[in-house]
Amino acid sequence: MDFTAFLKSLEDSGAAHAVRASLYYFPFLESIHVMALAVVFGTIVVVDLRALGLASRERPFTRLSHELLRLTWAAFAVSAATGALMFITNARVYAHNTSFRVKMVLLALAGLNMAAFHLTAGRSAPSWDRAPCAPRSGRITAATSICLWIAIIVAGRVIGFTTTGAEAKEAPPPTMNFDDFLSGAASAPAPGPHSTAPATK
Amino acid sequence: MIPVIQSAHITGIGLAVGSALMMTLRLLGWAGTDQSLLANQRRFGPWLTGALYLLLGSGALLIVAEPVRELVTFSFWLKMACVATMVVVFAAFQRSVRAHGERWEQVLARRPSVRLAAVLTFVLWGCIIILGRLIAYDHIWGHLSPATKA
Repeated sequence: MDFTAFLKSLEDSGAAHAVRASLYYFPFLESIHVMALAVVFGTIVVVDLRALGLASRERPFTRLSHELLRLTWAAFAVSAATGALMFITNARVYAHNTSFRVKMVLLALAGLNMAAFHLTAGRSAPSWDRAPCAPRSGRITAATSICLWIAIIVAGRVIGFTTTGAEAKEAPPPTMNFDDFLSGAASAPAPGPHSTAPATK
Repeated sequence: MIPVIQSAHITGIGLAVGSALMMTLRLLGWAGTDQSLLANQRRFGPWLTGALYLLLGSGALLIVAEPVRELVTFSFWLKMACVATMVVVFAAFQRSVRAHGERWEQVLARRPSVRLAAVLTFVLWGCIIILGRLIAYDHIWGHLSPATKA
């Protein structure tokens, strides 16, 4: 199964049909997605500002991050689930959307950045727990983290402006004669893998 | 420009909800208990205030950009009612904690009614977010507005 066929199968899944068929599910999913991202972003900024030494300087870093990162992950799981449900309603359009791709790359970078933090300043956190700020590597990853998450929010919001009402374009079947296509003869169902596809959106 | 302003608005929502969450969790005693309620308020209160100014500024720009989309919708005005309620509760809480930090710590934060009010105020943020998003979808439920029945 190639990638496009896989995306198409996501669009044809029962969950995708249910979301498309309802007036209310999509705005509901968007709202839950925003709530979850607010908690993800809000808690990450609190931890990053502590590492940067810009706020909560008097609180032990490990205690602060331990308290908050559980919340961050729980909220991230919710935003990933709601994001996935929105994605499958129009998978081929989103998969080819530049903002969506940029957002996925930025999310991956945020994950790598977090891993970098854990492998450097995070590992030595007990030694600077009560210091006003993290060592240099920790400050760099913390600043990068804030920038990446703001960029993720921007890319996410732009997706909505560049995909609304868009429909997946299907390649004409390879057997189609271009002259027939121009003269309208192709409006008869052409043989091809997508010829029986139901209209989406 | 509108997607950029909306992104700033959502970033503001993230900062506001983060700060509100920190204060709510501290009041309930579920996080940040190594700090006093007053210290927690001094840490996050100004951030919530700052985020509210960012939301006010970006929100005002969004209204100027698309006045009809915003001002003619039921969702927008319901959202504003929630925002006004939240601001009043937050301002009262901030004043009171700064004046009577000890009393909040020892007595008020333990009262079930106060704890319920704290949870409900945080839930209000959920309503604000849903209604904010629904401004774009006012056509699917805006007819419930009493204004359209006139």
